[in-house]
Amino acid sequence: MNRQERSTGFGFVAPLLVLMVVAFNAPIAYMLGLAFWDKGQGFTLEHYQGLLEAPVYLRVLGNTMRIALIATLANVLIGYPLAHWMRGLQNRARLVAIALVVLPFWVSILVRTYSWIVVLGNAGLVNRALQWSGLTEQPVQFLYNELGVTIGMANVLLPFLVLPLFAAMIRIDDRLLQAAASLGAPPRTIFWKVYFPLTLPALAAGTLLVFILCLGFYITPAILGGGRVPMISNLLDTLINQIPRWEQASAISTILLVVSLLIFAAYRRLDRTASL
Amino acid sequence: MKRRTFVGAAASLPAFSILAAGGARAQSKEIRMIESGGLSGDSIQVGYIDPLKAKTGITVVRESPSSLGRLRALVESGQTSATMFELGSGVVLQAKKLGLIEPIDWAAVNPAAMFPEAKAEYGFGYQYFSTIMAWRAGAKEPKNFTEFFDIKAFPGKRCLPDYPHYCLPFAVQATGVPIDKLFPLDVDTAFKKLDEIKKEVAVWWKAGAQPPQLMKDNEVQYSICWSGRVVGDPAFGLNFAGGKADLSFFGIVKGSKPEDKAAAYKLMHEMSLPENQAKAAGVISYTGPSPDLDALLPKDKLWQFPTSKQNKAVQYFENAEWWAENGEAVNKKWEAFKLSL
Repeated sequence: MNRQERSTGFGFVAPLLVLMVVAFNAPIAYMLGLAFWDKGQGFTLEHYQGLLEAPVYLRVLGNTMRIALIATLANVLIGYPLAHWMRGLQNRARLVAIALVVLPFWVSILVRTYSWIVVLGNAGLVNRALQWSGLTEQPVQFLYNELGVTIGMANVLLPFLVLPLFAAMIRIDDRLLQAAASLGAPPRTIFWKVYFPLTLPALAAGTLLVFILCLGFYITPAILGGGRVPMISNLLDTLINQIPRWEQASAISTILLVVSLLIFAAYRRLDRTASL
Repeated sequence: MKRRTFVGAAASLPAFSILAAGGARAQSKEIRMIESGGLSGDSIQVGYIDPLKAKTGITVVRESPSSLGRLRALVESGQTSATMFELGSGVVLQAKKLGLIEPIDWAAVNPAAMFPEAKAEYGFGYQYFSTIMAWRAGAKEPKNFTEFFDIKAFPGKRCLPDYPHYCLPFAVQATGVPIDKLFPLDVDTAFKKLDEIKKEVAVWWKAGAQPPQLMKDNEVQYSICWSGRVVGDPAFGLNFAGGKADLSFFGIVKGSKPEDKAAAYKLMHEMSLPENQAKAAGVISYTGPSPDLDALLPKDKLWQFPTSKQNKAVQYFENAEWWAENGEAVNKKWEAFKLSL
């Protein structure tokens, strides 16, 4: 590519770039800057100091990380076998399976979240079935705790993991697996030595995506957590909309952003060492 | 048709500019308000906006929701598209401290008789609402908050507000403190009491629609919730005893244009009239600030309203000053408490 071509290319991208910077990046930079800049006082670290002195907000952040991790693991445990199973289906069945995975995307997240109350509530389908069959006396408390939040988040985020994973899996050449088999490898070895490593990059990318989305979840913990599962976005809502301490919210958001970037950087590093 | 509208518009143009030049007497034909939405918003429409439109031709466009953060964004961005903003009693003080609202020109409002607490320097108190105990019909009925918090004698899951200023005073009452001695609030005692029952609290609600729905679904049996959401529904029992009477205000957004403010004061005048308040109370069981309102309300429904005599006497009134002083510190303790659940 010569120099002139490169500059015309930039010309095409420039409007979008300007839009992104002005409409998206600049407001974010402004919000993040709020924590460092006090009206009349100039530069300050007071809001970060406040976080260290009263670490309750940081503990909420830690709690968010923990729940995001649990929800992501649940997603992997359900999503990986599901994607693998879809790979083995015939064409038509595969289409139906993909449609079923994508279908929840078309339903409002609010409706999806509330429908879990119908399914898992004390008088919900599952509890009625359990009590009718005599397995339990009292209704099992599925909702309004971490279990409920995990179920809800796994449900909402599953397509984000399954779709990239499935795309990677159907690209795997069956002949590779046949070759391994013809050399005498038992199915388990084929899976772990050939199949799984080939899906690993997509699995890692999907897992990371789900984890980062989990960190910012708002509606699901608010409804299915019954207010008992403090997460960072709900705390930020209080700090931004009710109190309103935007400076404190900004400090927490900055920490959240840095932590997310660190996780992303760690992933990139792992990815690079893996591909070397 | 098109030509006639054009001629009409052209004819009204000079008249309009003369009005605008008239300064303080000029008023806009359309203003915006940000209110809390739901049935309460409908009651504003029926009770006050429609009568104003009929009398003066002024249109008021409603938007929701009304969080303090939104008001701050509105003012700090210098974009004062909305003139009126609905605020809770504590929020009025916060907004005043942050310089987000303007004092009300009560001479311009020229209101009918109002309860004194509703006639604040920075806010027009337009709607009384109560936060009370309620239960699923058929549950054992508590008579006061000591009983409500007694999970042994009154077994069942609870649904409590996820807001310290709604929750803590009731917990203090449960330890036997009478309603006139609640403030200054003993925060530590309140949290100790909440610690005792937190295992039985299934849901801490954020939205007022949650507790009635959860009681109907039999997810919880007892709630502390807003009176307007449960009165008159046979699915629930309720008791105003020990409840919190509170007042919602409308403030004027800082930097509003004088002609918009003039229109807003006209609407506030409509809000002070008892006959309009009776219309609003027909939509939602909350009441306006007129002392003459009771006579206009249906006799058989008086027990449902926050300000009717028998109810006003047994409730405490929100202490907005105390919360404005202590709210933020209490909120940190609240977050810590929530982490211990």
